[in-house]
Amino acid sequence: MAPQLSWYLALSAVLFTIGVTGVIIKRNIIAMFMCIELMLNAVNLTFVAFASFFQDVTGQLFVFIVMTVAAAEAAVGLGIIIAIFRNRETLDVDDASILKL
Amino acid sequence: MLALLFILFAALAVGCALAMVAQRNPLYSAISLVGVFVSLACLYVMLAAPFIAAVQVIVYAGAIMVLVVFVIMLLNVEHEERRPPRLKFLVPMAVVLAAVLIGEVTFILVTVRDFAAPVSNVGLTHSIGSALFTQYLLPFEITSILLLMAMVGAMTLARRGGMLTANARVVPGTQQLPLSIVDPGAKPYDLRVVETDTTDEAARLLGVEGLRDQSKRD
Repeated sequence: MAPQLSWYLALSAVLFTIGVTGVIIKRNIIAMFMCIELMLNAVNLTFVAFASFFQDVTGQLFVFIVMTVAAAEAAVGLGIIIAIFRNRETLDVDDASILKL
Repeated sequence: MLALLFILFAALAVGCALAMVAQRNPLYSAISLVGVFVSLACLYVMLAAPFIAAVQVIVYAGAIMVLVVFVIMLLNVEHEERRPPRLKFLVPMAVVLAAVLIGEVTFILVTVRDFAAPVSNVGLTHSIGSALFTQYLLPFEITSILLLMAMVGAMTLARRGGMLTANARVVPGTQQLPLSIVDPGAKPYDLRVVETDTTDEAARLLGVEGLRDQSKRD
């Protein structure tokens, strides 16, 4: 039996949920960042599955652009993390709850 | 056979994702996340999308994770300290939301009409490239502008302000640089304003002679 579309959708939902859970329960800002990457990947899996099953290249182009946005997000996000660490000497998001430095 | 492969890679992905969330050391989390990325790339190959699979390994498992691991090691965080959880009312809410999500997954598995995957060649580099540079050219260009903005933003964020070395050159423009750039003997942060295009001209206008010898040495 070949894998069905619903299998991929279910796997994607599970991965996305794990990512959401990580964002909620993690306190380390880098760990939260990696959970966001996991959520993006779960969505990418949905796009690729639909593109493959519907024979449409648009979904894969969406994945391409999502990856670019993820790379940009990684660059800017890690810059922000370094700036926060430089100002507060911590990576705990509870200690960075106000914008004032 | 394909179903067995799917189950293998799906279990690998879910296991690595759970390990990533359960891990307290961010470095181990990053390694688990690389496992998730690689197993997702295998799933992309199974979905007849070899280009996306290659980009997944190169961009995600390569570039982004190297950046994350670099930051983890740069900031030298050993592990999270344990603290009593605040917001305890969130725990039952999390259970309820997880039940809702499991219901949704069950709904998908039951109701989505299954059909056999046709042999697809939309994932090849040729078809992706032709679509990207004809029909989707505008999103492609917008993406490149986004990357440029992210690059400038990251450099601005990560830069330390006001840390110019003594042999830095005066950049044409409107910024104000301390006089110690052209005159090593000057007091720091002496901000007399001159408008020039080159360091040598600034030195001449300010009556500083020491730098010209220095620039010849360079």
